[in-house]
This record gives sequence, structure tokens and C-alpha cells, in this order.
Amino acid sequence: MALEVAIEKRFQGFRLAVEFKADGAPVALLGPSGSGKTMTLRAIAGLDTPDRGRIAVDQRVLFDSERRINVPARDRRVGVLFQSYALFPHLTVAENIAFGVRQLPPDERERRVEDQLASGHIAHLASRYPATLSGGEQQRVALARAIAPDPAALLLDEPFSALDTHLRNALERQLRETLATYRGSTLFVSHNLEEAYRVCGDLVVLAHGSVAARGPKEEIFRHPPTLEVARVTGCRNFSRTRRFADGRVEAIDWGCTLRVIQNFQKPPEHVAIRANHVRVRPWEMSDQKNTENLFPCWLAAAAEAPFRVTADLRIGTPPTNPTDFHLQAEILKPDWESLRIVPQPWAVELAADRLFLLPD
Amino acid sequence: MNWEAVLLSLKLAVSVAAILLVVGMPIAYWVTFSRWRWKFVVEAIVALPLVLPPTVLGYYILVGLGPRHFAGKLWQSVFGHTLPFTFGGLLAASVLYSLPFSVQPIAAGFDAVDRRLIEASWTLGASRLATFFRVVLPLSTVGAVTGLVLSFAHTIGEFGVVLMVGGNIPGVTRTVSIDIYDQTQAANYDVANQTALVLLLFSFLVLAFIYGTSRRTLGLWRRS
Repeated sequence: MALEVAIEKRFQGFRLAVEFKADGAPVALLGPSGSGKTMTLRAIAGLDTPDRGRIAVDQRVLFDSERRINVPARDRRVGVLFQSYALFPHLTVAENIAFGVRQLPPDERERRVEDQLASGHIAHLASRYPATLSGGEQQRVALARAIAPDPAALLLDEPFSALDTHLRNALERQLRETLATYRGSTLFVSHNLEEAYRVCGDLVVLAHGSVAARGPKEEIFRHPPTLEVARVTGCRNFSRTRRFADGRVEAIDWGCTLRVIQNFQKPPEHVAIRANHVRVRPWEMSDQKNTENLFPCWLAAAAEAPFRVTADLRIGTPPTNPTDFHLQAEILKPDWESLRIVPQPWAVELAADRLFLLPD
Repeated sequence: MNWEAVLLSLKLAVSVAAILLVVGMPIAYWVTFSRWRWKFVVEAIVALPLVLPPTVLGYYILVGLGPRHFAGKLWQSVFGHTLPFTFGGLLAASVLYSLPFSVQPIAAGFDAVDRRLIEASWTLGASRLATFFRVVLPLSTVGAVTGLVLSFAHTIGEFGVVLMVGGNIPGVTRTVSIDIYDQTQAANYDVANQTALVLLLFSFLVLAFIYGTSRRTLGLWRRS
């Protein structure tokens, strides 16, 4: 149960060179738009041909430029859930699902379709046409259709991008259920890191056409290897650094000196912290003697969401305008309600075990 | 009213439309999906009858199918007679003359099919041929029907090519349009008028019927 990809393709002004492995557990292919995610997926499905490289599923070679192997898409047994779903508009839901199992004997075919209709909770839609379905229903049908032929690998191209937030949750849960029983390799293409984090175990982060990081998701989120990966994984607070001695760095952009735990062979270029790891308290309530990396801060601007607030903070001196800030903190609504009535400066803590250093 | 001419016209138009549906389909498919860089040359050749005067086309067909040229000789050696001034010759000329009226709407229909559906079909294990019959063709029926209707109607109304290649032999190559011309020349305006009216009504009814039914049946899965 392994998908092996090592491909290269040149376009005008863009070079795709991607190498990774996916065995068993779903792997997320994460990256900003234009990073080569969809191109990689199309190459695996056999819809585009790489210039060089090798693609194999369970030791079965699908593409090998050296051995001149290029199995056509129809023989690859790679299922694709397209971003647009690509349901056949002239066929009913049941006929769409049956499309890929046509060569099976009638009773087996029937059984596969029944199974997919049941496990996708779409049995009541069997005789409907795609145009009469909602986006969420279409997505479930497309997933059922992709899985029905029992493909060796399953590629999901941003399957939730066309859906409302409230639909995503339910469909995401159903997708996780489906993937839990699916025995092949799954590649989940997404630019939404939270979604990718929930669905997959391992991440492959793409940036500018090449792999910037790959490995277990916890590892990549805790220690992003580069600035780019930190950005892709949702980190928003960065500062350039100077001096690196005695476990301390000077954060140039934040105007402060920080103690760090992480060890680096060569000097890091940036120090970073996630917005939800930045702790803000009233100054009086902070233990200034015994807390490291604690600084006075002022509020430049705040953006309120239903349950949390994003606060733009400036360290050391009050801001001159709302865009004059050093870092962002995510604060839960109840904490925010009690914090906002306290006079500034507040105390911001950049805990050493939450800071990470980025070479680059 | 010359029923012989009416029947002959119908026979010709039905045959041409049927032949063009079968011949036009692969040409249209190739024109739509081929990535050959010289494709435009083929497209231009297919479209030639649209702009050529029927007499020019008729002239070349007449000469080309005549006993002095290769195609004509080959035909004569196999069938024992030459093509010009026979129904077969008329049919061959009409098929060529109506080719663009069949190929272009069919190709436009193929072209309108979402490529992602074709790719989805491939990833589900369907061959190119299966994809054509199960995805491309069902989704471009409007184009195919339009091609069928246009080649039919165009053949009913053709005149110049018929006169050049078929001549004016009663029951063999004298179609309705030729008959109307003859009657008008002979000042039999009553007969000409009758035949013309029948032709007009018939053409209209056929077109209205096909457009009406195709829209209704094809609209089924489009409506929500």
C-alpha cells in the first residue's frame, strides 16, 4: 500500500520537481495555489506526462521515463475526486457510480453500487441527476464513484473547496470514515492546513514546485524547517534575528531579546511564534520576575471573530497607527472581554518552548 | 406536382444525411481533439464547400469522377459504368458538398463537452472509444442532430452541384429543385408553385419537428 512519486516537469517559467512517498495513512499535499499541487496530482492520475521520473503504486510502475513506461490513465487504477466533481450530467447518481465498474459481472456491479450508495448515505439520491443535487450531495456522489472500482490509490483534489463551512464539517467527518476503511494510498490535495491536519497523518508541503517539507504533521507544525513552510502551516509572526549566543537571540523586527531552547548549528535568520501561542495578560497580573520573554505591549488593532479575537500588538512602545504592530495574538473571547477593560500596557509572553528558529 | 422528383429528393437527402452522420462523426472528432499542427489545413479543406460556388465544386467532381481520371476509372472498372449522371454520382457529390454542414456542428458539439468529464471517464477505466460513446456523444447530441438536420436540408435545397454532376434525368437525377427550375423555364407556374410550396412546407416541418423534439428530450437532464 504505497504510492511513490519522483517526477520532474518543466513549463514556461515554472519547474515542478516533486519527490515523496505515501504508505497507508492519508497524506496531505499542502501548498499555496500555484505551488504545483494539482500538476502533481494530474501526473499521478496519468492526465499529464512528466518530463522525467518515476511513479509507482504498490510496486506497480505507472510511469518511468528511463524504462519508457507510461501507463494510460484508464489502466492506472488511480481514483480521482476532482475539485469540480466532474459528475456525468446525463447519468443518474447510480449510473455515475456504476461507470467505473462496468466490466464486472452484473450482480457484482450491482453490489458495488449498492455498497457505495449505502456507505455514502446517498441511497435516496440513486435515480436523481447531478444537476438536481446540492454541492455536498455531488461531492459524496463523486467520492462514491471514485472509490467504487476499488482503486489502488485515491487522489482528492481540494474536495471541500466548493462547499459552505457548515457542510464541510459533516463531509469531512464522512471522508475520514470512508478513508479509514479504504485500503489503498490516499493523497489529499489542499491549501487549507486545518483540514489537511484533521484528515491526514503525514504532510508533504509544496512551495514553488518542489517539496519544502515532508513528514508527520505534528513534527512539521512544531518545527517547520523553513520560513516558507512556517507560512504554509499558518504561522504569522516572524522577526529577523541578530546575534545568537548563550541561548538568546535578538528579534530585530520586534525590538526585543528572546531566550530560545532550540539549538542550531548555524545562525538562524528568523524567529517565529504562532498567533495562538502568544499569551497576553494584564501587566499587574504577570509575574515579571520569574517569567522569561515577557514584555510590555500595546494594542494597535483588534479583529473580532465570533469566538476569538485577533489582536495586533506592539512591543515596547505604544503604536502610532493601527498598522504599526509587531505580532498577532489569538485570544479567546472571554479572556478578551476581561483584558480589554484593563489599562495598557499589557504583558505579552513569548514562551521559549513555543518559539522556533528558522534557517533560510 | 412531380412526385417522382419529390421522392428522389427525399431519397437523396436522407441518404446524404445518414452517410454524413457516420462519416462526419470521426472527422469532427479528429478535428476537435487532434493536436496535429497542420490540422488547420484539413479544417480548411472540409470548409471549402461553404465558400466555393456549387458550379466549381460540381465541375471538379464531374471531371474527377469522369472516365478520364483515376477515381472515375477505378469506379468504372468495379461497377461497369461511370458515376456522373447516375444517382450514385449525385450522392457522392452531395455528400462532399454538404460535408461542412455536418462536420462543423458536430465538432462544435464535441468541443462543448467539458474536458474534465472526459478525463474523469479515463480515470474510471474507460477507453477512448468507450469514453466517446458513453460521455462525449451523449453530451453532444444537439450538435449531432443539428449536423443531421443541416445536411438534410442543405441537400434538399441544392441545385448547382446536382445540375453539374447529375444532369436532369427524370427519376434518376431530376430532384425537386431541378424540377421547379424546369417547370419555371417552361412557364408552368402552377406546377412550379405547387412543388415549391410543398418543398417549403416540408422543409419547415422537418426542421421544426427535429428542433422541437431534440430540445425536449435533451433538456430532460439539464432541468433541475
